[in-house]
Amino acid sequence: MDIVTRAKINLFAVLRNLQELCTLDKASQEAIKDANLSVGFKVPSVGEATLVFKDGKCTFRRGDSKSSLKLIFLSAEHFNKLIDGGKTIPIFFNVFQAGFLLKTFITLADRLSYYLQPEKTPAFKDQPEKLAELLKDQEYFNISTTLTACTAFFALCEVGNSDPIGKLTAARIPDGVISCTVKGGPALNITVGKDHVMTAALGEVSDWRASMEFADMQFASDILRGKTDTFTGMGTGKFAIKGFVPMLENMAKLLAQVAFYLK
Amino acid sequence: MDIKINSYTNNRALYEKALKYIPMGVYGHLGPSEGCAIPVSAFPIFSEKAQGAYFWDVDGNRFIDYMCAYGPNVLGYNDPDVDAAAFEQMKKGNCVTNPDRVLVDFAELMVDTVAMADWAFFAKNGGDVTQFAVMIARQATGRKKMVLTKGFYHGVAPWTQKLGYGGVIPEDVCNNLYIDWNAPEQFEALVKKYPGEIAGFISTPYYHPIFEDNKLPAEGYWQKIRKICDENGIVLIFDDIRAGFRLDIAGSDYHYGIKADLECFCKAIANGYNVSAICGTDALKSTIGDIMYTGSYWLSAVPFAAAIACIKKMKETKTQEVINAKGRKMQDGLVQVARTHGFDLRVTGEPSMWYMRLGNDLPSTLCHQEFVAECVRRGVFFTSHHNHFINQALSDEDIDYTWAVADEAYKIVKANHQADIDAGKIKLI
Repeated sequence: MDIVTRAKINLFAVLRNLQELCTLDKASQEAIKDANLSVGFKVPSVGEATLVFKDGKCTFRRGDSKSSLKLIFLSAEHFNKLIDGGKTIPIFFNVFQAGFLLKTFITLADRLSYYLQPEKTPAFKDQPEKLAELLKDQEYFNISTTLTACTAFFALCEVGNSDPIGKLTAARIPDGVISCTVKGGPALNITVGKDHVMTAALGEVSDWRASMEFADMQFASDILRGKTDTFTGMGTGKFAIKGFVPMLENMAKLLAQVAFYLK
Repeated sequence: MDIKINSYTNNRALYEKALKYIPMGVYGHLGPSEGCAIPVSAFPIFSEKAQGAYFWDVDGNRFIDYMCAYGPNVLGYNDPDVDAAAFEQMKKGNCVTNPDRVLVDFAELMVDTVAMADWAFFAKNGGDVTQFAVMIARQATGRKKMVLTKGFYHGVAPWTQKLGYGGVIPEDVCNNLYIDWNAPEQFEALVKKYPGEIAGFISTPYYHPIFEDNKLPAEGYWQKIRKICDENGIVLIFDDIRAGFRLDIAGSDYHYGIKADLECFCKAIANGYNVSAICGTDALKSTIGDIMYTGSYWLSAVPFAAAIACIKKMKETKTQEVINAKGRKMQDGLVQVARTHGFDLRVTGEPSMWYMRLGNDLPSTLCHQEFVAECVRRGVFFTSHHNHFINQALSDEDIDYTWAVADEAYKIVKANHQADIDAGKIKLI
């Protein structure tokens, strides 16, 4: 596994999810309702990103921007350790905002873990029955699946742009836009541009070159959690593809690599 | 002409059952996913029976089959002469401790038939013999590297796949070098870059990847490749698995005017009976003894008997001439039908195994995908991603029916995309 790619996934796919989390999850909305600051992340060889908290909303911005609180990491590994829940302290500027990190940010991180990896949270660890009950909660299930989908599709772009084998796969994807939709759920799109650089975005697109559609949230969840495969879905009609298939074929290979990174 | 729209109730039910016991229900190129059944609701999944140019699915729908089991069906399904030979051999014996004498008869026939062949060796699938060809080249030369043309397909062994594909590791492909099709100068450059390191050059006779226009060899292309191989001690391997016996009974290397060192056959060799073959020149014959290579069913007699009957019948009836003429006729008509609706159907490759797409499609190729689906719904089995195949049993009535179905299908596609046409995204001719 490539450490830099993993850090890119952590920064630009996992952490990015705080934006959606604060829209979908009531507890997170409550946590940020009075927040008015921005938090910057700077990771060598990986890049920079900023989370802006304002007017009860969270916005994720890729790249360098002014922030009231800046976290600077020594390396990709250093950043990965933080995301993995390890005891690590970044260098940060503006100590007066540290309270936000210790309270609100930790609340958000916990909520994100609750939706993305509930089995690893103290409340559900080694408690399969309790976890099964949680997954039956439709609201929880929808938020969890939406955030998992966002993580996966943003992550696959990082794999295609950064991982040595992922880059080979991305080089085989013709230019154009791939539409990814879940009926009754989120819509994302991936643009493959010059030099096969991949970028993900939220929302439906009409001018796609290839399209994939999950028939429902349950099937999307099953695919993203590795309980079934897209080939089976194509046969049953629960995963419908259209358009220029080589784009999707190679995208599926990147998605398979994402699973290794997010394990 | 009465054209029925298919329904697939039994297909769907059987597929659901298959999913319980088989990964992906039907895996590989005959399955709905690798077979690009888009949308899956338009396509059958299981066959009930086959005869001549047709197969019937488990719902009783009949299809004029332009995929021919992806190549093996060359004379028509259940050809009476081939089947009779196979059934007769079955009564005598099939998989026995000692091979049947039919092994020798078959090898003799291959040597008499394939222009480059001084010997023949048999296995089961195309991949068995392309793998063996690479091993022979390496053993004969003491070198590691293989040159392949981009867009290749030589089977499913790890070295034939690409880095990033499931189960493939860098070591599997680290000795592969790649050049573009019709680019002998790139081959020459590799030979200079890796002097004394290249064991073999493996390629299909012409360029027939999926999702792309097929390309024939440019004038003098194969002669240049042959010359470079000769001058540098490189083994020239023809992967004639798909095209073999569809272009020329004497081999596709012969068809394009050269003599390969090794030539691999499968698909059309036995009209669907499971056998593959590699033929070689005398210079490489003794190398075979240095390589351990065998399989449980490789010397089974029934497919040998079938292959003998198939090759003899192909010779007697001039199959290659017939199927290329039928292919040309069908494709010319199809182009005309498309044109009457404003669509520019582009046909590439050899007529007996042509590839087609629309020249004025959307970038997504959606129109052609929809056209194929509408044809399949009406009993004409095309695919949108792969080259097609012609078999000898295809009749003029079948071709007429195909054109009538295509006419309806293009009408529907045009109606589906009126907004794209109005917006100038599709420019009709």
